[in-house]
Amino acid sequence: MKVTIKSWNAIAQWRWDTGKADQDDADEEDVCGICRVAYEGCCPACKMPGDDCPLIWGECSHIFHMHCLLKWIGTGQSKQLCPMDRRPWVTAERKINPSKSS
Amino acid sequence: MATPAVQSFVEEKWQEAFKNLNRGEPGISGLMTISEAWRIASDFLRPRPLSEPRPRYNAHEIKAAFDMLAHTKLLYTVLENFLDDMHQQEYLIKQEVGEYMSRYEETDDPQVIAELVYRLVDWFNAWHPLAEYEFSSLPSIWRADDQNELSTSLGHIVTDHFTVAFHTHIYSILPPSFSRGFKALVSSTLPISYDDMSDSPSPDTFVWDSFFALGLVERYESLIASVCYEHIEDYIREVCAGQWSERMLADVRLWMDSRMLPWMRLPYARGAKDLNEATKMMSGVKSRFDYHICKVLCDLRTSEIFDIIIDFPDSKPALEDLKECLHRVDQRSILVASLRKANKKRLLHPGADTKDILAQYVSIIKCLRVIDPPGVLLYKVADPIRRYLRDRPDTIRCIVSDLVGDSENGTSLVDDNDPLVPLASRDVEDYTDSTWEPEPIDAGPDFRTNKPGDIISTLVSIYESKDLFVKELQVLLAQRLLNVKDGNYEKERRNIEILKVRFGEAALQVCEVMLRDMTDSRRTDQHVQSQKPSLLHPVIISRHFWPTLQTGTFILPQRLRAIQEDYSREYTAFKPDKKLVWLSHMGSVKIEVELQDRTLEVDVPPVSAAMVELFSERDRWSVDELIAQMGRIDRPSVMKGLLVLVDLGILKEEETDHYKLLEVAEEASADPGASRSAAMDELPGVQTAQQQQAEQMRVFWRFIEGMLTNLGALPLDRIQNMLKFAPGYDRNIEQLGMFMEAARREGMVVAKDGMWRLNR
Ligand SMILES: [Zn+2]
Ligand SMILES: [Zn+2]
Ligand SMILES: [Zn+2]
Repeated sequence: MKVTIKSWNAIAQWRWDTGKADQDDADEEDVCGICRVAYEGCCPACKMPGDDCPLIWGECSHIFHMHCLLKWIGTGQSKQLCPMDRRPWVTAERKINPSKSS
Repeated sequence: MATPAVQSFVEEKWQEAFKNLNRGEPGISGLMTISEAWRIASDFLRPRPLSEPRPRYNAHEIKAAFDMLAHTKLLYTVLENFLDDMHQQEYLIKQEVGEYMSRYEETDDPQVIAELVYRLVDWFNAWHPLAEYEFSSLPSIWRADDQNELSTSLGHIVTDHFTVAFHTHIYSILPPSFSRGFKALVSSTLPISYDDMSDSPSPDTFVWDSFFALGLVERYESLIASVCYEHIEDYIREVCAGQWSERMLADVRLWMDSRMLPWMRLPYARGAKDLNEATKMMSGVKSRFDYHICKVLCDLRTSEIFDIIIDFPDSKPALEDLKECLHRVDQRSILVASLRKANKKRLLHPGADTKDILAQYVSIIKCLRVIDPPGVLLYKVADPIRRYLRDRPDTIRCIVSDLVGDSENGTSLVDDNDPLVPLASRDVEDYTDSTWEPEPIDAGPDFRTNKPGDIISTLVSIYESKDLFVKELQVLLAQRLLNVKDGNYEKERRNIEILKVRFGEAALQVCEVMLRDMTDSRRTDQHVQSQKPSLLHPVIISRHFWPTLQTGTFILPQRLRAIQEDYSREYTAFKPDKKLVWLSHMGSVKIEVELQDRTLEVDVPPVSAAMVELFSERDRWSVDELIAQMGRIDRPSVMKGLLVLVDLGILKEEETDHYKLLEVAEEASADPGASRSAAMDELPGVQTAQQQQAEQMRVFWRFIEGMLTNLGALPLDRIQNMLKFAPGYDRNIEQLGMFMEAARREGMVVAKDGMWRLNR
C-alpha cells in the first residue's frame, strides 16, 4: 500500500510563548498577575485576544497583559515597580529564538 | 250528580236566596222560576261526550236563566256544579288520551300527538261555557258592563275557572310519555334544512294555537326551550365542526335570524301585532339564545382547540370566533383546562420530538394571543409545556439551531417578520409604556404580561438565564465554523449580528472572537504557505473563547508529525511570541491510498490517517498494538478510527480486535455508506453546553460529598449556601436541586423530609 497525503485540515490553539516548557495544556494555566485573566484571554479593556492584546515580558521574569501593565505603571502608586515583586519594571527584550518546542 | 258537600252548599245558598227573593215572606211562585232557571243553566253547561252535540238554546231563555241565578246569587253554585260535572266526565277524555298515547307508543309518530292535541282542543271547545256564542249574544251578566261590576268579573271568572279546571284535568290525564311526544312534535315544526336560507315555509300556526289553548306552551316552557337549544346545538355542530378557515359565528347568527326567529315568534311572540312588537317581545329570549349560540360554538372550538392550533394560521378565523364567544361566555378556565389536557395527552410525551413540541408551543403562543392579547390564558397553558421542555435535554439545542437558521426541514419557529428585539428582562415593569394595561382579573399572582411579538424571548425565558443559550450558541457556531470549507463566513457573520440584537453585544463577544480566529487562520495560512508550502491548513483558535473541544493527543506517525512541526516552526517565525498546540483528534486528512487493485482518495479523521500510515508499514495490527504505538489515546477513539477504515474497505477485522489491510478488495458484507457517514458526520468533539454543565457539576459533587460527610444531613438551601464557597460555583438552587435529584437516582444520596444525606 502506498499512502499519499493530499491535504490536512487541522485545528490548533495558539499560546503565548511564556518560556515555560508546557507540553500539556492540562497544566494550570497562567494568568496575568494584574487582572487575573488568562494570558490567552484578554485584558479588561480589550475584546479581542492575541495580537490585539499582547503580553509584556519583564526582566524580572514576570509577564502581564501589556495593557494591564501600562495602566499600572501609569498610576502614581506603582512607582514604576513590577506589581509582583516591587522591583523596578524593566521590559525584557524578546529573544528571537524562543524556547524549543519539544 | 253533585257531591254531598256541594249539595249542602247549594242547599244553604238556596235558603239564602229564598229569603232574599221573598223578602222574608213565604211564597212559591218565585221559587218555581229559580228552579227552572237552575235546570236550564245546568243543562246548558253540562259537559257532554263529543258524540252528543250541545242542543241549540234560545239565547233569551239562557240569558233569563242566568240573570235569575245571578240575582239570587246562585251563579257560583251553578259554576261549582259545572266544574264538578267536568270532573265526573273526565274519564271520557282519559279514554281517548289512552288510545292516542298507545298509538304513539307504537308508531313513535309525532303526528299522533298532533291529532291528540287537536282532539283535546275539540273537547275544550265543547265544554267551554262560552265557546259557541258570539260575545254580543252572551248573557249580559257575562258581558263587560260598567254598570254591573259583579257581572263584569263574572264572565272572566267563569272562563278562567273553566280553563284552569280543564287544563288541570288534562295535565293529570296526560301520561309521562306525552312530554317525549310533545317534544318530538315541537321539533317537527322546526325549520329543518340547514343550508337552504332562501325560503322559509310559513310556520304552522294552527298547531301552536292549539298548544296555547291547552296551556301546553306554559306548561312545557322549558321543554320548548330545550328543543330550541338542541336545535341550535345540532346546527352548529353540523355546520361549524372542523370549519376553521372561515368565521362561522356571523353565519350562525344569520341563520338564527332568518330561520329560527320566524319560528320562535310562535311560542315567544304570540299575539304580537306586527314585527316590531314581536321583536320587542322576543328581545329577552333572543339574547338568551344568542348566548347559547356563543356557548355552543365556544364548547365546540374548545374541544377542537389542539387541532385548531396545529392548523394555525389557516385556522385564525376559528380563533377569532372563539375570542368573540369567550367575550360573551366566560369559559376561559374551561378552555385552559381543555388545552392543558390535550397538550398533556398529545404533546408532552416521550414520543414527541422536541422540535415538534417547540413548534406547537410557538403556535399556541400565537393562537392564544389572538384569543387573549394580554396573555393570561397563555401563561396558564404554557406553564406545563415550559416545565416539560426545561427537562428535555435537547431543548436549548433545538431553539438555538432555529435561532441560527439551522433547522433541517427549513420551517423556522420564528417568522422572518417577527420583530427583532432584545430579550426582555422579565421582572422590570415599564411604567412609561403607553400601551400598558392592568392585568386581567383571572391573572394569577405570578402572571407577568409578555411583551407581544417576541417569540424568541418567550422560548429563551423557559430557562432562568440566557447564559445556557449563549453557551449553546457558541457550541453550535463552533461546529458550524469548523465545518465551513470554502472560507466564506458571511452567513455566520450575519447570524451573529442578528443574535447580538437579541442577546446583547457582550454575550456574543465570544462568537466574534471565534469568527475572527477563522479569518485570522486563513490569513496566517496564506502567509505560511507563501513561506513554505504545506499540506496542512489549520484553524488556529483562541482557547477560552471556544467551547470545550476534545483535548488529549496521540503520537502521530513520523510523516504526519513532520508536517505538523514544519507548520509550527513557520507559524512561530511569523508570530515570534506565539506557538501552536495541536488538537490532533480533530480535523480531517485527505489521503490517497494506492492498493494492489485500486486507488482510493478519502477524507478521514486524523486518527484513521495515522492508522493508515501504520498499516502501510505492516499489514496486521491488533487494537492493543495500535494503542501502544499511538500513545495516549483511549480505546473508543481507536475503535472509531478503525471503523472508518473498515467501512472504506481498507481494513478488515480478522478476529476480535485484530485488523488486516485489504490489499485486494473483498466483497462488502454490509452497506458501508450508513455507518461510515455516521462516524464522519459526528461533529468534532465539541461538547454541548448542557454536557459541559453536567461535567462542571460533577466537580462540585466533591464539595457536596465532603460537606455531607462532615455535617450529616443538610437541607438544600444550606448546601447551596455552602457551595457558594466552592470556587467557580454559579448554580442556582433549582439547578442544584436537579443535580441532587439525579444523584439520588444514582443512589449517591438519599432525601428525607427535605434533608439530604449520603447514601451509606
Ligand atoms: Zn491583565
Ligand atoms: Zn488589552
Ligand atoms: Zn516582576
